[in-house]
Order: sequence, then C-alpha cells, then structure tokens
Amino acid sequence: MYFRIIGNDILKNKMITLVTMIFVAAAAMLVSLAAILTINLSGALDTLMTKSKTPHFLQMHSGEIDHARLTSFAEKNSNVDKFQVIEFLNIDGSEIILGENSLVDSVQDNGFSTQSEQFDYLLDLDGNIINVSEGELYVPISYMRDNITKVGDKAVISGQEFVVAGFLRDSQMNSTLSASKRFLVSENDYEKMKNLGSIEHLIEFRLKDLSALGEFETAYAAAELEANGPTVTYTLFKMMNALSDGMMIAVILFVSALVVAITFICIRFTLLSKMEDDYHEIGVMKAIGLRISDIKRIYLVKYVAIATVGSILGFGLSILFKGILLENIRLYMGEAENSSFAILFGIIGILLVLFSILLYVNGVLKHFRKISVVEAIRFGTSQEKSSGAKRFCLNRNWLFNTNIFLGIKDVLTRKKLYATMLAVLVVSSFIIIVPQNLYNTISSKSFTQYMGIGDYDMRIDIQQTSNISEKTDEILKEISNDRAISNYAALTTKIFKAKMEDGTEENLKVELGDHSAFPIAYSGGKAPVQENEIALSSINADELNKKIGDRITLVIEGEEKDFSVSGIYSDITNGGKTAKAVFTDNSADIMWSIIIAELSDTSMVDNKISEYLSKFGYAKISNVDEFVTQTFGSTIRSVETASYAAVAVSLIITVLITLLFMKLLIAKDRTSIAAMKALGFTKSDIRIQYMSRSVFVLIIGIVLGTLLANTLGELLAGAIISSFGADSFKFTVNPLSAYLLCPLMMVCAVLIATVGGTSGAGQIKISENIKG
Amino acid sequence: MKKIIIGDRITKSFGEREEQRNVLDELSIEINEGEFVAIMGASGSGKSTLMFALSGMDEVNSGKVVFGDRDLSAMGENELSDIRRTKMGFVFQQPIMLKNLNIIDNIILPMMRDNRKNVASISDKARALMKRVGIGELEEHDITQVSGGQLQRAGICRALINNPKIIFGDEPTGALNSKSAQEIMNIFSEINEEGTTVLLVTHDAKVAARTERVMFMRDGKIVSELKLSKYDGTNMDTRIEKVTRKMIELGI
Repeated sequence: MYFRIIGNDILKNKMITLVTMIFVAAAAMLVSLAAILTINLSGALDTLMTKSKTPHFLQMHSGEIDHARLTSFAEKNSNVDKFQVIEFLNIDGSEIILGENSLVDSVQDNGFSTQSEQFDYLLDLDGNIINVSEGELYVPISYMRDNITKVGDKAVISGQEFVVAGFLRDSQMNSTLSASKRFLVSENDYEKMKNLGSIEHLIEFRLKDLSALGEFETAYAAAELEANGPTVTYTLFKMMNALSDGMMIAVILFVSALVVAITFICIRFTLLSKMEDDYHEIGVMKAIGLRISDIKRIYLVKYVAIATVGSILGFGLSILFKGILLENIRLYMGEAENSSFAILFGIIGILLVLFSILLYVNGVLKHFRKISVVEAIRFGTSQEKSSGAKRFCLNRNWLFNTNIFLGIKDVLTRKKLYATMLAVLVVSSFIIIVPQNLYNTISSKSFTQYMGIGDYDMRIDIQQTSNISEKTDEILKEISNDRAISNYAALTTKIFKAKMEDGTEENLKVELGDHSAFPIAYSGGKAPVQENEIALSSINADELNKKIGDRITLVIEGEEKDFSVSGIYSDITNGGKTAKAVFTDNSADIMWSIIIAELSDTSMVDNKISEYLSKFGYAKISNVDEFVTQTFGSTIRSVETASYAAVAVSLIITVLITLLFMKLLIAKDRTSIAAMKALGFTKSDIRIQYMSRSVFVLIIGIVLGTLLANTLGELLAGAIISSFGADSFKFTVNPLSAYLLCPLMMVCAVLIATVGGTSGAGQIKISENIKG
Repeated sequence: MKKIIIGDRITKSFGEREEQRNVLDELSIEINEGEFVAIMGASGSGKSTLMFALSGMDEVNSGKVVFGDRDLSAMGENELSDIRRTKMGFVFQQPIMLKNLNIIDNIILPMMRDNRKNVASISDKARALMKRVGIGELEEHDITQVSGGQLQRAGICRALINNPKIIFGDEPTGALNSKSAQEIMNIFSEINEEGTTVLLVTHDAKVAARTERVMFMRDGKIVSELKLSKYDGTNMDTRIEKVTRKMIELGI
C-alpha cells in the first residue's frame, strides 16, 4: 500500500519531489566529498611526512656554523634521535633558467641541495627517495603545476647545464606558503656550484618522541646555538602542507551545511503544505482512531524514498567528482595509503545526512499532534490567524497599485508562511555577498597592510651576505639621490634575547627603523615612536602572552632594558613572529635589512628594479605587487573563483526555491485566485500580485542578508583570514556590485522563477474552484 | 424589450471521448434588461455551469453568448475580465473573500484595480452600501469575525460596488438560515427595483418565488418556464405554490 501512496504522491508532485531530491543529492555529495577529501588529505600527508622523514625541528641559519658544538648538543640531549645539517645553496632566480623560462620574477628563495642521508628525504612522484645522477636536476613540484618546465628540458643554473630529470616532493617546502623551494642535484654537481651563491644551513633534528618538542625548543634556545634564521617545527610543516586543501575542505563543509539547511527548509515547507492539503483527511484518520504514528508513517515513507534515492545519487556524484578535487592532494603529496577507507567515510557521511533528514522529517511531522480533529473535519483547513498589518488597509491605500498592495499585504499577514522563503533568500544573498566582499578585501591594496606589508612599491632585501650594514648604506645613498623615489625607509632586523616571566630567555627578531614612513594596520595600539616602545606581531604577542601596555625586557649589549608594548599587528612575513621598535643599536649582528621605497611614478617600478639590480647584484629587489601576487595570488584566485561559484549556486538555489514556493503557493491559493478572477482580475493582475510578494520578500531578504554578511560574514571571513596571520579585519565593499549588481541579479532570478512558478495560475478555472 | 444576455444554442461538455457528457446541451436563453430571473433545477442539471457560461467565467464548446451587443464567446480572457469587473456583479453561495483583507477592503477590491486615486469616494460608497444592507458597523472586521449572513451581505455590497448592469447569484441563500435568507432576498428585490438585472440560480422554491420569471432546467436544457408578476410583498404563498407545482410537474 505504501508503494502505491508514494507512487501517486510523487507523480502528482513531480517538480517538488525532484527539487527536494536534488538538494538531498547535493548535500550528500558535498558531505561525502568532504569526508573523502579529509581522509585522503590526512592520509597522503602522513604518508608524505613519514616517507620523507620530515624533521621535527628545523633551524635555518646563515653564517658560520660550529659543527662540533651542535653535534655535542645533539648527543647530550636525550630527546634527540637523529641530527643533521644540510646545506641550502641560495641562487638568485635570475640565474636559474628552466627550459625557456627564467625564474627572475620568482619571489621564492630558490636553493639547491643534495639528497639527505638520514632523514628529510626529497621524494619523486612515486613517493620513492630520489637517487640523483650527475647532470640531473630535480625541480620542485610547484614549478610543474605552474607549467614552468617539463621532464627532459634543459636547465641552466649560473651557466652550468643540467637536464630536468623529474619533479620532487619536499615535505618541508612543498607549500606555496613556504618562502623557499629546494632543487635537487648530485653531490658532484653541488660541489661545482658551491661558489655560485650564498649558503644557508638547515640544522635539522628528529626527536625520539614528538611530544618533547616544546622541551627541546627551549633547550635549543638556552644552549645559544646557531639561530640566525627562522625556526620551523613539525607541526608547522604539517599545517602549511594541509592549509590550502584544508581550506577547500572547510569551504565544502560550509557549503554542505548550507545545502542541508536549505534541504530542511524545503522539506519543512513541502511537508507543511501537504499537511495543509490533507488537513481534512488527517482529521478523519485521527477521528476514526488511527494512531499518530500510523499517520506519520505514511508521510515518512515518502521521504525515506526521496532521501535514499538522493543519497545514492549524491554518493555516485561524489565518486565521480572526487578525482578532480583530489588532483592537488595527489600532485603535492601523493596517494594516501588509507584511501580505501575514504569511501567508507564518505558513506558514513552520507548516512549522517540521510538520518538527519529523516529525523528532521519526523520532527516536522510532530505538527500532527496539533491538528484538532473537530476543526479539521468542520473547516477542512487550519484556521490560521491572520495577524498584524491591520493598519495597512486597501481603503487607506493611495500609494501602491492595487495588485502590488495585495502582494505586500499577503506577505504581511502570512508572515510565517513567507518566513521560509525569506530564510532561503537571506542565506542566498549572504552567500553571494560574503565571498565577493572577501575577494574585494584580499585583492585590495590596503589589505596588504593587514598582512604587515605597508603601501610601498619596491622592496630591496639585503640578506645572506656579509657586511649588510655597509651594503644597506650604499643603496640608501643611491636612493636618497634618486629623484624618482618619493619616499623610502630602511628597516634592519636583529635578534635580541627576551626575558621570559619564568626567567628563561627566548630569541626575538626585532625590526628597527622608521615605522611611520609606510604604516601598516595595527589590530590594537599604534606603531612604536619612543625609544622604549616596541610593537609585537600577533603571534608573538600570543606566545609571549603580552597585551598593549605590558612590559617586556630585552637584553641589549649585555644590559636588560624594559620596553612597553605600544601595539600589536598582523604579520605574514617571516613566519609571523616579528617585532618592531625604533631604538638604535650597534651591537648585535644584523640578520637582514630591507629598504622599502615608493616611486613618484608607479609605472616605472619594473624599470627601477632592473636599474638597481644591475647596480647592486647582491640585493634581492622585488615589486611589491608581484610579491603579493606570488604569495597570495593563488589564494586570491581561488577566492575569486569561489565568489563566482557562490553567485551561481545562490542564484540556482534562489530560482529553484522560488519556483517551488510559488508552485506551492498557487496550489494553496487556488480558491482566492479563482475568486479574484471571478471579480474581474486578469491573469497578469494575478501575476503582478505574486511578483510583488516575491520581490517584497526578496527586498527584506537582501537587506537582512547584506546586514548579516557585513556583521556575521565579516566575523566568519575574519576567522578565515586570521588563519593567514591577519587578525584585524574589515570588509572592503565594492558597492556597485554588492549593492546594485548582485541584488539586481537576484531580482531577475526571483522574477523569472515567479513567472515560471505562477504560470499555473492562468490555468486555474473559476468554475472548478468556486462551488456554487 | 432590450436583451441584456442572449445564450444561443450553447453547449458545454466535460470529460474526454466516451466519457464526455454535455452539461449544457444546445441551450438557448434570453434575459431582458431590468428583469429578475431565477433558474431552477436539480443538482447536476447544469444551472451553475449555465451561470458560469453566461458570465464569461467559463468557455462554451459551441454556440455563443452575447452580453449587451458584444459576443462574449469571441473575446479574450482580458476583455472578459474587464467586462466582469465593470459590468457584472457576483454573489456566491459561500461568499468567497480574501482572508487577509477586512470586510470593507474586500468590498472595494474590484473597483480599486482601476480607480485607486478615488479611494476615498469608493470607500464612502462602500460604507453607504454596508449601511444599507445592515452591516455598517462591521467595516474594519476581519472576515472570520462575522456571521455567514453578514458575510453574504458584504458579498452583495462587493457585487454592487461597480454599479453593475447585472448581478449573478449562485445559490446566494443556500448557506443561510431562513431569516437571513429572507433578508438577503429583500435586498435583491430592492436592487432589482432600482433597475439592475438580477439572475439567480437556486433550487429553493421560496427564492424562485420572489422573481418574475423562473426557468427550469433538466439534463442541460431549459425544459419549461413560469412567468410570475413582479413581487409586491403579497401572495407569497400562492407564488411558492405555483413554483412548487411546476417543480413536481417536471419531476425536479
């Protein structure tokens, strides 16, 4: 009997059944994809990091290195399992030519290494440790993805010729977020190249037990060993590798949550209207003594059918699409060993969706209890109270056209009914606006200030070289006489010991110089101005547990000096752990210095860069726009794509739901429509009434959606952005697109859907719906 | 006498092929201007269908319907809507009203579509009509707050708001108690006195007895006609008896 009931019902409501099923399938597909991706990502990441034996602790160091002291530290420290020092030969991008492309525009630190002996292996694309022969060059995988070169290409490094023998996966530096990239050459070739660039040391440790990492870090700092460069730990490597795909999974999960929510709204609405239609029958069933659970089952069975078919469909789709989404993970990290489990987790995810839908349907069906037998049999409909808007009367209306008035009035009196549609429209405009604002924000010039980068045009890095101070002065002298440069500043980074509350000391990199020339955005407080002020990056402030106004003690020239924290800022440069101060110091070694400059004519930046490059070969000179593009370019592009996708998805959802809603509304309003027609209202009058209803709801939806987007959306986007290191965040809105173009697109979508959904109104026969 | 509606050999059928059934079967009818007419018949005889056909609410399969000097069967839907809105008034058995409008808004609705600017004078007219049919105090009430009889009076006010040439009533007293029904019939008589044509569909002899001409339908055809004088408030029993006798004679 159930099959007959379901069959009839589905045939009668083809469109509604189909839409509900599409939403269930979409939700199931997304959840299954998210599960499959998560398992694959974590599996592939584990495989990669296990096979390549990623170091647990890495200290980069430029300058001389005391091998004996390091070895004795490693031997004495009981936590250390293995220890090695790898050389990383830094060669300027302009000296690296792969096939036909030069890496002159690359902002990455490109360096050359040999294969490690104990751990931190560089792997080929099959996950094997690469055994490199003379004359062969293995290139970081990201250059394969960017189509810079291919296997078999000729490579010329500072005049020395190689053949690109393959691509490598580097568990340390794979991620685009990592600033360095390692190329692999044979020992002999390396020896020949050694004098062509500057050598940086990677001091690497594997610990017996990863949980002792914190303890080991403190011990390393306390031993005052080589530390002229950033420190990176295993956890950070893992995070950097997982971040971009992790974000994709997060977005998929977010979208699937939205789709599930919309599915619920859909189900709630169709179910309640169905119950409204069947009011009389339900009353009779109750009256003749059928149990509520029996009646419920009749309705539940249909949704079991829809949800099951939708879930199976969704699972099929997720299997179909997983390849595309797994491409990046496979390329950068290889196959996951546990990928067979992934499907299982996908199925579990889908079952979760299925059960939550059935639970929800069951919940909605609780409304049966509220149906009064007497009312149902006597009136055949629920006696809904029309409430509110009593003052909004036709006999006092001189403002609106009568059809528009009737549309608005209907929305105002049946608020509960329209709340469903409103909710969908609010969600839709929210998902249109938030990604778009996010894209505008991160692609705007001012955003870099949130990232710790001021609004300058050209950046000159002087690092990994001797006599940094003299070289900086040399360039500064040139710049001060250069009329094309309108403003500049030199910032020098030095390491100082910071006294911790527990008496231990920790290294703090402090950038000294004039911070007012190119101000950055402070999430709290202000830039340091006085000699005894210091500003901390937010990660440092967190780690050192300091707030604005707190005091911090640094050891300068052997003496302890107190500073007060003047401000906290977001920073993505140098691992996010920086500080800024203005005091002068002649003692400590300079780690690096940068000169930042603004040009009077920004179109001249590239010329200026070539000019300075030819004069100061030791400096790394880059265009800031390029720096930003290469660092965030892929993220900005993904967000841009996501924002277009969001517009498309929202518009589809808007059209589908409006269509569905209008169809249901027409079915519900048959008698009123017939009455209108009898009174001489034309088909187009009725269409205008329904259009005004949907446009009125849409306007409220857009206003609420926009408000939500600019409050809650900003918070959400801020949370995503803060994962990049920026934590004070305000949307940059493009008013034309956010407040005019997108609403206009939604209006069009809603109007088209309304016309489509209400086309049935024309067919309503007066004689069939008005009983004489 | 000038005719207001002429139905010329109209046929209306429902159902497909073998199951097709003529509800109106080459039926011809003429209504004079200012006349008060009733159409009687058993359930299923086609009287409501006839009313829907004569008012242009339903298309006919063949034959034609002329209203005044215009052929309704040749008109498009919009034109038909215009005629219904400006020249006709309707009173149904269940006074179908829009739930979200109050009484007075429901009454002025048909007129507001074209004359929004005159909302004040339209509302005044509605108030006057309401007062006349005895529901003057219900103006701002919701339709769920009043009785069936009161709602039917509001329905009559709505039918009258456009000064129609003809009022169609489909069992207008069918859902009312006898006292209310009598009061409603008094209103129809008054309207007719003022010159408006009234065409009622009913199976109630008491209602038909108030009119001046009664047509009897069976199987989609008008099978007989009974002429009565204008009702002047007297001889009601005799009139009812005449109608009833005719009904018995025809087996209705």
